[in-house]
Formats: sequence, structure tokens, C-alpha cells
Amino acid sequence: MKKTFPGGVHPLPSLHQGKPLTNDLPVKSFVSDTVCIPMNMHIAAAPSKPVVKKGDHVLMGQLIAEAVGPRGVPVHASVSGTVKDIGMVQQLGKTTSQCITIENDFNDEWVELKGLGNVENCDPEQIIPAIQAAGIIGMGGAGFPTHFKLQVPPDKKVDTIILNGAECETFLNADHRLMVENPVRIVDGLRAAMRAAKVEQGYIAIEDNKKDAIAAMEAAAKGRKGVTVVTLKAKYPQGAEKQIIKAVTKREVPSGKLPADAGCIVMNVATAAAVADAVIDGKPLVERVTTVTGKVREPANLMLRVGTIFLDAIGACGGYSVEEPGKIIAGGTMTGICAPNDTVSMTKTTNGIVVLDQQEATSLEESSCIRCGRCVEVCPMHLNPYRLKNLCDANLLKEAKEDHIMDCILCSSCSYICPARRWIMSSIKNARELIAQRGI
Amino acid sequence: MNFMPILYALLALGALGAIFGLVLDIADKKFAVETDERVAAVREACAGANCGACGYPGCDGFAAAVVAGEAPINGCSAGGAKTANAIAAIMGADAGSAEPRVARVLCQGEIGTAKERYRYDGYKSCQMAAQMVGGPKMCPYSCVGLGDCMDVCKFDAIHIENGIAVIDPDKCTACGMCEKACPRHVIRVMAKDANVIVRCQNSDTGRVAREACMKACIGCKRCEKTCQYDAVHVENGFARIDPDKCTRCGECAKNCPCGCITI
Repeated sequence: MKKTFPGGVHPLPSLHQGKPLTNDLPVKSFVSDTVCIPMNMHIAAAPSKPVVKKGDHVLMGQLIAEAVGPRGVPVHASVSGTVKDIGMVQQLGKTTSQCITIENDFNDEWVELKGLGNVENCDPEQIIPAIQAAGIIGMGGAGFPTHFKLQVPPDKKVDTIILNGAECETFLNADHRLMVENPVRIVDGLRAAMRAAKVEQGYIAIEDNKKDAIAAMEAAAKGRKGVTVVTLKAKYPQGAEKQIIKAVTKREVPSGKLPADAGCIVMNVATAAAVADAVIDGKPLVERVTTVTGKVREPANLMLRVGTIFLDAIGACGGYSVEEPGKIIAGGTMTGICAPNDTVSMTKTTNGIVVLDQQEATSLEESSCIRCGRCVEVCPMHLNPYRLKNLCDANLLKEAKEDHIMDCILCSSCSYICPARRWIMSSIKNARELIAQRGI
Repeated sequence: MNFMPILYALLALGALGAIFGLVLDIADKKFAVETDERVAAVREACAGANCGACGYPGCDGFAAAVVAGEAPINGCSAGGAKTANAIAAIMGADAGSAEPRVARVLCQGEIGTAKERYRYDGYKSCQMAAQMVGGPKMCPYSCVGLGDCMDVCKFDAIHIENGIAVIDPDKCTACGMCEKACPRHVIRVMAKDANVIVRCQNSDTGRVAREACMKACIGCKRCEKTCQYDAVHVENGFARIDPDKCTRCGECAKNCPCGCITI
């Protein structure tokens, strides 16, 4: 019996066609001539502080910005070359962010790396500092600092680490390809995380539409202590933190609490691979697999350096296949952020660049709610999306909060399923911003 | 036909009705809640928009507060002088002279003037759009132009024209709801006679500001040098006029190279 959670949607083949575009293409490496690395790729901590100056020569993996505060994450040079500029650039954030632009000399000279060696024999106390030093953040999209996630507060009891290989988003195959091509690293990363957080159980959860990934991961997990591969039903949002915990362990994260309150830590498979690199080789996080797909000439899974500019990445895939792209989305089409243009750069969390044409990008006109209740059926958090939308539109924020608007995971299943094409998720997201701002 | 049962029923019900009526009447007299008729009168005199600009929960809340002596007589900004005088008459006090105020849009970033960062076709809310990758216009201080202020205006005084909020000063009652709704704080309620205004809040350096908008204040200080009354000062990269010192001579507006000072 395949494991899953109640609710959720099955995106139509017309949207899911994105997956077959790239699901059996091996990961190619691509390096651009400049990278523009933002200092605020992570959440939950202040932006990192640059430690290089304009004109400095940097080596690959060299520390270019140091962590600020205990949750902070350092940033490393993703190419070797010269620092061309340090300045404020409008990236995908709400406002401009400080960015370091480095011109690549294509020598790929690494700084001296010092790892801890084998994940099974190294000192578990040193794993978390190694992860922090490598600048690892959650690579599934949110960008929560991994070293902080693995430091379980003493009042919480965590017994399970779940590696999220569900990749339920449309179009994306970055995690899928990583699992097929580099399964041992992922298992190593999981073991390192398990030892660091003193956890005995580790699961690698994969959706059943990735048979080759399941086979590869099962082979790699064989004989490793406490590691189990779990097959999940292919459904959106299977890869959401709370849903994957529910599917794998049947536990529910209490309202307003963190996964640690349900005894779980959830990490992306790409994060686990980065953890393995950091622990075994001492290699900082400077590159990741990103699916560049949609209306590009040759969709591909690329190993891109952090800070690669979207246009360069799209250029590596033969450029746009349409005259003028309608939308460029950082991430998948369900939860991704729409980029204002193609000059923004990818971060440690960019798992996909999806180009849509004008027709695909057209927003649909809203109409009145027909009370069919489908949004209620699909809501993975058991909320009443139609009611929340009405409350938000009437500006009844206090009532919306009482109806648990803050528990919404913004998966947009409700907007997707709505036959009246109501913009439910947008309303909810807007209202949540207002609630946070006004402190209701 | 025996009419007696009908008669008994009528008598019994009539008697019951009379007794209950008497009890209710006594209870009404005995437990009557003292109400101040001035509350209802003040409520009637208010603008009646329930806009909340006075800081009380709607017109009823304001009326009760006025009668209790907590709220000022001229507290209803939506009603203006007329309401203040009416309330003063009810309360038997002096209305005091409230300076007429009006909301002003401190941005001229119309379509064509302000550079577009991207075409926004998402959820129609300035609040939302302003959060999206720096907002649809290049200038991060500009009016977003999706009408959050228009939605909250109870007096139909705000309209979006050519991608920017335009306020009708005759309809505006200075209730300040638009000021609160604007995510970019572009709308400010100010004295109505302070009509020389810098319609820009861009605090970026001149070059960056100019790249974002043709009518952006570039902080060149020409207005500051022109003003003979020490009323204009450039702070945080944009000019500000002190309405108390300003004589409305309009010299600064004439000399502004960007056209961001208007009369």
C-alpha cells in the first residue's frame, strides 16, 4: 500500500507534461562567465556579511561572506576569479539584496578543503559545525539553515529524519536525477544528519512515479543502519513538510508548531547530498542541480553554480523556443516565484527554471464561488479555503486567523482545483502578510 | 351551538394578556436603562460612513465617546466643519476651528513616467504586488496603482488613473483610511492650504531615482537654494517643504528640473 496524506490534487497531464521533458536526461555541467551571488539566500537569519572587496581574487569555495548570528549561513565563491562588484541588486526578494558579482577565470581552482572523512566514523559533534561552515540551507525551496534544523532543542524529542525525494512539483526533475545519479551521497548525507541529530530512524520518501530513483536509492540504502526507502503515492503536495510526515509516519504536526514537535526532521534529498559533500570532503555548497525547462529549445537538468544568471542558464539550453516568454518561474509552477526578468540569479534554493509562453502564462478571470466544496476536499491542511477567501476579501483578518489561516501551507491546490477559477491562495497569502504586518 | 366555551377562551386569554401586559409595563418602568438622548443626536449628526477615522469603532462608538466627554467635538474628520458645528450645538460647547485637511498622493509615477519593472497580472492588491520582487514599477517608493486606497475610500474620492491614485480634493474628507491602506505610504493627509508639495519620496541617489522614474526627486537641492524662506530642505535624498514657512510663492516648483514639486 502506497503511503499518502488525505487531500491534495493530481495535476493534469497537460501540466505534468513538464516532467517527461527532462526526467531521463542526465545532469550536465554548465559554468557561466559571471555569477551574481545574493547574500540573503537563506531565511530565518540576517543576510550574510561580505568579507571580500571589489577587485579581490577569489578561489572556488573561498568564503566571501560570513554568517551573521547563530542561525546565519556563510556564502562561498562558486567560481574562481575576480570580484567585480558588491552592490544592491533586485533579486527575487521583496526588496533589493546585497550581491557579490564574480567574473569567472575558468580555472576552477579550489581552496584547500578539509573534510571529516567517513560519515560513519567521524565525530558526530563535528558534523553540525561542518554543515554550518559549508553554508548549507534547505535546498527544496524555503532555504532554512540546515545546521539550525539539526540542532534539536532539548525539550523536543526527535526520532526520525525524513529525506524528501517526493518532488511533487510540476516540471522539476532536479531531485529525481540526483537520486538516480548520486544515491550513495544522499544516503551518506542522511547518515551524517542522523548521527548529528542522534536519530535512529531515517526514511527516504519518493513518489511512485520515479521508479528508477526508488530502485537506485534502495540499492544504495541496503546495509546502511536505520535507512528505509518509502514509496509514496504521486500527488501534489506530497513533498510539503507536514504532508510527508503524515504520509511516512502517520503523525500530525500540531497547529502552529514545527516538525520537531511531531518528532521529525524533514530534509530535501539535495540538501542531504550537500551535507555528505560538506562532511566527507569539507566542500561548501557552491553548485546544485537545477531543471531548466518549459519553452526552451533543449530542456535539461543542469549542474549550475550558485549565482548563475537565469539568462545564462537558459542560454545553455539553447535559449527560448518562443519569441517572447510569458513568464519565467523560479521553482515549479505550483509554488515557484515568478521572476521579473531573466537577469536575476539562481540561489542555493532554485530547483528549477520554468519558462512559460504567453498563452500558458495568462491569468484566468475570476468568477463567483459556486459552493462545490472541492477546495475543502483537496486542502491538505483540512482548512476551509472558500471561507478563508471570503473572510480575506471582506478584510475580516481576525476571523480569518481564528479559522487557522496561518496553518495554510500556500500549496495552491485550492486555486488549482477551483472550477470558478477563484484566486484563493493569492487572497490567503495577501491576508497573511497583512496579519503579520499588523500583528493581529 | 354552544358559544360559552368560545367566550371562556376569549376571557381567559384576554385576562392572561392583561396580566402579562401589566407585568411587562411595570418591569419596563422599574428596570429602565437610562439613555442619553444626545448619543442618538450626535450619531445622527455624524457623517455616517462608519469609516473609523476618528479612532472609535464606527459612528456609534464615536457618538458615545463624545457624549462621555472622551472624544473631541470636532473628532469626525469625515463630516468636517458642518458635523463639528452640529455636534457642538447638541453638546452646548464650542466646536473649535479644525484646519481643513486633505489626502495627497506623493507620487507622480504614471504609466510612461515611471519605468515598469514587470507586467503584473496577479491578485489585484497593491499590498501583494508591492511584495513581489520589488513591485511592478522600478521605483520602490512609488504608487503601485492597483487601488487598495480606492477600495477603502468610503467617499468615492480616489480613482486610479493611468496607473496612479488620484484624489478628488472636494470629495476627500481626510478620514485617513487610504493613508493606512497604502503599503508604500505614498498617501499622506495634510493641511488643505499647504498646496506646494513635493510629489516624490524616492530616497535613492539621483541616478538610480532618475532611471526608475522621469519625475523622481533626484535630491539636486535646487529648490533648497531657490527658496528664500528656508522652507525647503533635502533630507534622505528627497525634498520636503515645511508648510509653516512656505509662502506658496511657487519658485521651487518653477525651478525643479524633474517637475516633482507641484502647486
